[in-house]
Amino acid sequence: MNQITENTTPAVADASPASNGAAKEWQPKILAFCCNWCTYAGADLAGLNRMEYPADIRLLRVPCSGRVNPQYVLKAYQNGVDGVLVCGCHPGDCHYATGNYYAKRRMLVYKRLLEYLGLEPDRFIVRWISGSEAGKFRDTVIEATERIRELGPLSNDLPHLAPEDIPHPISAKFEWLATPKNAREGL
Amino acid sequence: MSRIGVFVCHCGTNIAATVDVQAVADAARLMPNVAYATTNKYTCSDPGQQAIADAIKEHELDRIVIASCSPRMHEQTFRKMLAEKTSINPYLLEIANIREQCSWVHKDKAVSTPKAIDLVAMAVAKVDTDKNLYTSTIPVNRKVLVVGAGIAGIQAAIDVADAGFPVTLVERNPSIGGKMVKLDKTFPTMDCSACICTPKMSEAGNHPNITIKTLSEVEKVTGYIGNFEATIRERAKYIDYDLCTGCGACETKCPSKTTNEFDEGLSLRKAIYKPFAQAVPSKPTIDAKTCRKLTEGKCGVCAKICPTGAIRYDDTDRTTTETFGAIILATGYDLIDWTKIYGEYGGGRYPDIVTGLQFERLVNASGPTEGHIQRPSDHAEPKTLAIIKCVGSRDPHKGVSYCSRACCMYSAKHAHQYLDKVKDGRCFVFYMDVRCAGKGYDEFYMNTLHDGAVYVRGRVSKIYPENGKLVCMGEDTLSGQVVRVDADMVVLETAMVPNEGASQIAGVLNAQRGPEGFFTEAHPKLRPVKTNTAGVYLAGVAQGPKDIPDTVAQAGAAASKVIGLLARGQIESNPMIVQVDNAKCSGCGACTDICPYGAIELTEVSLRENSRKVTRTVAKPNPGLCQGCGACTVACRSGAADLLGFTNEGIMREMEALLR
Amino acid sequence: MDFTEQVRKRASQLIEEGTVACVIGWSAGRLKYQRTPTCADTPEQASNLVCDQHCEHALGKYVLEQKDKGRVGLVARGCESRAINRLIADRQINREDVYLIGIPCTGCTTRDGVELKRCHECQFRNPVIYDELLGEPAPEPKNDRFADVRKLEAMSREERRAFFDLMYETCIRCHACRQACPCCTCKVCFAEQEREGWQGKQFDVEQARYYGVTRSFHVADRCIECGECERVCPMGLPLMTLMHKQIKDIDELFGPYEGGGLSDEGPDALRTFKTDDIEEFM
Repeated sequence: MNQITENTTPAVADASPASNGAAKEWQPKILAFCCNWCTYAGADLAGLNRMEYPADIRLLRVPCSGRVNPQYVLKAYQNGVDGVLVCGCHPGDCHYATGNYYAKRRMLVYKRLLEYLGLEPDRFIVRWISGSEAGKFRDTVIEATERIRELGPLSNDLPHLAPEDIPHPISAKFEWLATPKNAREGL
Repeated sequence: MSRIGVFVCHCGTNIAATVDVQAVADAARLMPNVAYATTNKYTCSDPGQQAIADAIKEHELDRIVIASCSPRMHEQTFRKMLAEKTSINPYLLEIANIREQCSWVHKDKAVSTPKAIDLVAMAVAKVDTDKNLYTSTIPVNRKVLVVGAGIAGIQAAIDVADAGFPVTLVERNPSIGGKMVKLDKTFPTMDCSACICTPKMSEAGNHPNITIKTLSEVEKVTGYIGNFEATIRERAKYIDYDLCTGCGACETKCPSKTTNEFDEGLSLRKAIYKPFAQAVPSKPTIDAKTCRKLTEGKCGVCAKICPTGAIRYDDTDRTTTETFGAIILATGYDLIDWTKIYGEYGGGRYPDIVTGLQFERLVNASGPTEGHIQRPSDHAEPKTLAIIKCVGSRDPHKGVSYCSRACCMYSAKHAHQYLDKVKDGRCFVFYMDVRCAGKGYDEFYMNTLHDGAVYVRGRVSKIYPENGKLVCMGEDTLSGQVVRVDADMVVLETAMVPNEGASQIAGVLNAQRGPEGFFTEAHPKLRPVKTNTAGVYLAGVAQGPKDIPDTVAQAGAAASKVIGLLARGQIESNPMIVQVDNAKCSGCGACTDICPYGAIELTEVSLRENSRKVTRTVAKPNPGLCQGCGACTVACRSGAADLLGFTNEGIMREMEALLR
Repeated sequence: MDFTEQVRKRASQLIEEGTVACVIGWSAGRLKYQRTPTCADTPEQASNLVCDQHCEHALGKYVLEQKDKGRVGLVARGCESRAINRLIADRQINREDVYLIGIPCTGCTTRDGVELKRCHECQFRNPVIYDELLGEPAPEPKNDRFADVRKLEAMSREERRAFFDLMYETCIRCHACRQACPCCTCKVCFAEQEREGWQGKQFDVEQARYYGVTRSFHVADRCIECGECERVCPMGLPLMTLMHKQIKDIDELFGPYEGGGLSDEGPDALRTFKTDDIEEFM
């Protein structure tokens, strides 16, 4: 999943003190989609209360968690983000009444799908955080950051299996053309 | 190629103390399409805003990023500045939140500065994709539709009409007044209910700005805030109201009788009838199901007796379509049908078990017994009365899980009225809890206890007849003993449920209802009388059980919101709404299923496709209804639906920028 | 299963009497066990139709190509009928646009007589809607269709990652799965919207993964489980494993999976919600 990052070094990156020299300690980048009305407000409140939390998180403001297309999550990984948070209002509190219920269903299915695809499940976190839950916002960020620091860069997730141990995905479609064998056994 | 200006705010030391703002500005200068980047001590101050306006002119900037506090704080300020002082569209602005989400939560400059740079990079990437957006104004039709003419609807209609706006008040029944006019007295002051309700009814009836449509229902509503088009079906009354003087001669001569709904089935009424003496409009209607002329074709007595010749047996339903700027829903409640769910109370087999509303009619001077408390079976005065509270309420297994809120008070009122009228009577009240929160409410309950009402904490498990008495078996949960009361009459204080008409109007308006069937307010605390459908407001029990004072207060609140809307005469539409690209839209309708506001409809359009003209179905968002949540954009697989201001492209560019 | 004679007879009649403008079915291919999807416009063409266990192509989506001709006749087995329901639910056709000649299917086989994987997993062999049914309803074996998913779920995360990395390395992004899928009816596919940023052009495992996963999620709550995507995949990738995974989850999370074209009414699982849906994001 890290191929894009490895190959891309835009000029801007040089200006950033964080990327000066590869030898520097690895800092994860965590992207958080936050709904404008609850979680973003909660994050603002955390700021107002001067609650300290790790600086690895970047908030992306969306009007509603229902606006977060699950596809963005995979897209974010491809862009080299080490972890993704999707946050919205508690069910029942959505500013738009129902957006977070749809988000919930989508994320439930998508999270399971990504896990099935062999992506580390802890890199994708969904949480409901209201505008008053500054503490919960901070705790969620701390928890997510700590876990992702443990996991290390996204490239750590790459499989380190010997070729013969890799289960073969190619169905026996071509095999059974040659030998009569139930296609399903190829899995 | 755009020319982006980046303005990094010190916010005094709020930002500058923990973020190296100069480094952020230097980094920003190297970002794609950034033509100018600078810092400013206080960007939101007047000189700060002027500095931006000057920089835009000097460096020919066409969009800007401000790195400062939360956009929730100053986005509107800066948009206003762009609109007033520059030639840039106010929506070509992004704010990087480097205060609340950076300088205030991180202490180490070495980590907060790179984070601030990232946040600016994200904003720069997004602003590059932003498009000009324009607010448009939608004219508001200055007429209001009030659905339901109980006390909530009447009060709301009068308040709006007093402000000078025409109101159409639609009621399903032959008279306005709703449930309140049936009541005898109102707690805690014991005012005569009719004495305070009927003046309101006649005020509504005589108000020059109020048009009352009784026996009417709203069949269809199209359009959106400011421009609803409602189709109202007025059922046949069989009487020409222009000719009828309301003399009542017809009613006295009519030979057919049926159950009187107004007296909750405790008396009979004629087929041509005025529901009650003070009814508004004060004219009779013919009940087509009971009238002999209309069912069997013979009789016609009323037509013969009518001095003005107002009877019209060939009358038919009329539908009219009118345009309204706002709609107030005041559909009220029904009492839960306890006979279907409480078999242990006889399921309706024992006539001396009555509901609270029936008791109101029995104790009411204008009721079937002229205010003498008599039990329905033999008209004897009950010497022992049992009142059972929470019948259906707070009982998720049989009835509803919520508390109906008014019953604690009106059961105390019933006990008080009974003990007042039957001096040697005994009254037992079975309760789960006594909830008397309200001005003067607990005092009223205490007075009822002093009157001699015996409150027993526990539910009645069974009622059966024995020797002409109704034996109520229950448990006093405070003492743990079984309680048996041999009552002459039992009053069940049953749960309020949404009026049966609510589901119909909910479907018509696409208004949301909670699991219990009450309409859902837009926000339980901050927008209690609005719904999620813009321009539709709530009053009274339609939104949830409440008593008369709360209902009237809420009706006034709904009216004031409506007056506010109508007084402006127009509304500014939010430009950050969904837009559908017809070329990409396949018309599958996934978005229409999702939209909580019913803002997207499928329409046929002609467009060019592969250099030939085709007509096909596409989704069309309604800018008056769309609130900009963007839930539909996710359902749209091809990305035809996109949210202006938060476009797919914009969000994806932001993500890409994060990793550069 | 051989309905060749009945199909020929009914198709000719229907075209002759003008009930339909054409009939979509199969005709014999170059090899003995090959069949080709065919649209018969005349009774003569209809007399060349074939319907037997070698008819492996699912025909549902061909209706979209032919519907301009008028009412389309379609030889419909379970999979075709559900595809039609799907197309109606997605508002691509109306029910009266098609005339379904129902076939009680007993499953297709390879030339060696081995049952196709998708036919083995098929839950509804008899058409769920039809205008007429040729013959008696066939038995529905309802074999376990989630066996593969369970096998993969039992593996370690690393093994699954390796499995899918290999799968997406193999993918050549020919988009055949999309072309064959009766749920894929977008005017412009996300995969062809490079400017908007949905899909990169790079030919690598990441972009293949993005295409594959996104396409599967797009049809997740609507998949009719016909297995046509997997059948047409030139690289023989087990695409249905993704679909079955999501269907299994939707089934477990939100109640019985009904997106599969059993009716032509929505809304589908991800287009609706219940306020008491399972909660794991607190």
